[in-house]
Amino acid sequence: MLRQLLVADFLKIKRKGFWLLTFLGPLGVVALQMVNYGLRKDYLLQQSDNDWEYYLSNVHSFTPLALILGIAIFTSIIANIENETNAWKQLVSLPVSKMSVYLSKFTALASLLLVSSILLMVFTLLFGVFLDLGEEIPYVELFQYSFYPYFAALPILSLQLWIAIVSKNQGIPITTGVLGVVFAYSAYYLPDWMIWKWPSLMNAWGEPVVNALLGVGLGCVLYLVGMFDFVRRDVK
Amino acid sequence: MEYVIKTEGLTKKFGKETAVDRLDMKIRKGEIYGFLGPNGAGKSTTIRMLLGLMKPDSGMVRVFNKDLKKERIHILKRVGSLVENPSYYPHLTAYENLEALRKILRVSEARIHEVLEIVRLSDVAHKKVKGFSLGMKQRLGIAVSMLHQPELLILDEPTNGLDPSGIIEIRNLIQRLPEEYGMTILISSHLLSEIDQIATTVGVISKGKMIFQDSIHAMRKHSRQTIILKVNDGKRAEHILQGKGIYANYQDSMLLLSKLSDQKVAEIVRMLVQNGLAIYRVEEKQSSLEDIFLQMTREEA
Repeated sequence: MLRQLLVADFLKIKRKGFWLLTFLGPLGVVALQMVNYGLRKDYLLQQSDNDWEYYLSNVHSFTPLALILGIAIFTSIIANIENETNAWKQLVSLPVSKMSVYLSKFTALASLLLVSSILLMVFTLLFGVFLDLGEEIPYVELFQYSFYPYFAALPILSLQLWIAIVSKNQGIPITTGVLGVVFAYSAYYLPDWMIWKWPSLMNAWGEPVVNALLGVGLGCVLYLVGMFDFVRRDVK
Repeated sequence: MEYVIKTEGLTKKFGKETAVDRLDMKIRKGEIYGFLGPNGAGKSTTIRMLLGLMKPDSGMVRVFNKDLKKERIHILKRVGSLVENPSYYPHLTAYENLEALRKILRVSEARIHEVLEIVRLSDVAHKKVKGFSLGMKQRLGIAVSMLHQPELLILDEPTNGLDPSGIIEIRNLIQRLPEEYGMTILISSHLLSEIDQIATTVGVISKGKMIFQDSIHAMRKHSRQTIILKVNDGKRAEHILQGKGIYANYQDSMLLLSKLSDQKVAEIVRMLVQNGLAIYRVEEKQSSLEDIFLQMTREEA
């Protein structure tokens, strides 16, 4: 049942710019470093002994922002597709469970964001090689910087999707989305428990993997809360 | 008797207000069931509960003799619906709209062409629904509801907002379905005139309560006939008749008499003529279904 719903959901997001955003997000993050390194490469190379590591952390400084902004936009559009003509009543009166309807929306967005993360890794690697930062490519760190923010951002995806789907007034998810981006921008000053800080991979222990694991854990919890709330509600 | 839809004591409350109050609905196979009531009487809420979109506060719904609460998905495989304003994805074409639902319903691609043909939208199949007229969107909604060849079709106000020709078109389409496809149809409306020509059974709801449920013929029997006499001096005529013990009511220069036998009418006319009154007109008036409907819903209110 989930597979059919997913196929339908991917058909519904046609012409809404989802794939373009999926591509543009990671490209933009790397493009900022193209400008950065294009303008002052010599200066930047002087800043550290490990050019690759330094380059990766530069790329990563914009990843959380792009990710959280992307989540806000994606969740808002995908909910709006059903909200626009209250297509929920049509969708839910099909022989499908409400749980799988919700799971399908989440899976579609999680997949798109995962594709974005893969593209981020590819773009980062390509430009890194182009910059000629050294023979020793740190694949482990490259993987971490590309995917840990994704896992760490899952609670934000669960929360934003829930808010966007159950809100009659789309001003609410847009407000929380904008707040999220502001939080992401000031991640350095936020306490560790704020989920908007997690994609920055900063924490008191200096272990990025903690954020990724916490993200998956809390992401699942918030997903379940959102799904059961959706199932419980009457469709107007 | 086997019912396609059977509800018992169906109740739904929104806060303190009771939208649907202990409603018992019975629909037999092959019927076109007209579900009537003024706006806000609880029609849409009832229909939403029949489809499992809303959970009743109490009472139960059985569709195809199965409990909706327990076998919702199984039941909905055999039910098509159009609830209130049509839902569609405006950025997709008519074909893509149906395709998105076809994937979920797992029917053949050929069926899309079939239903588009039935509602006569084949020509605009590859145009975006955004640019459709309301009538076309409504027809697309009906196409969607028939996509998986349901045995039960639930249409909530399918002619709402349509022009007269659109209403006739949809009415003709609906009328064909039970015979051609063996469907049972539940169709709601706030206007009796929209469905009195096609419905076989009617249920009238007012303030959440079912106040009448029977065949359309039974409803017609409720209609009362009146004899109307137009004479030159109504006051005097009324007086003469009352002297003979015949109850007449004089209003708006008309003399109204309740249903009488032909002989009695002849007698009255003769009597009035003999008393020197001029009779201009003798008419029989049958109150229309619309009148009965209005009377029913007014009495409840």
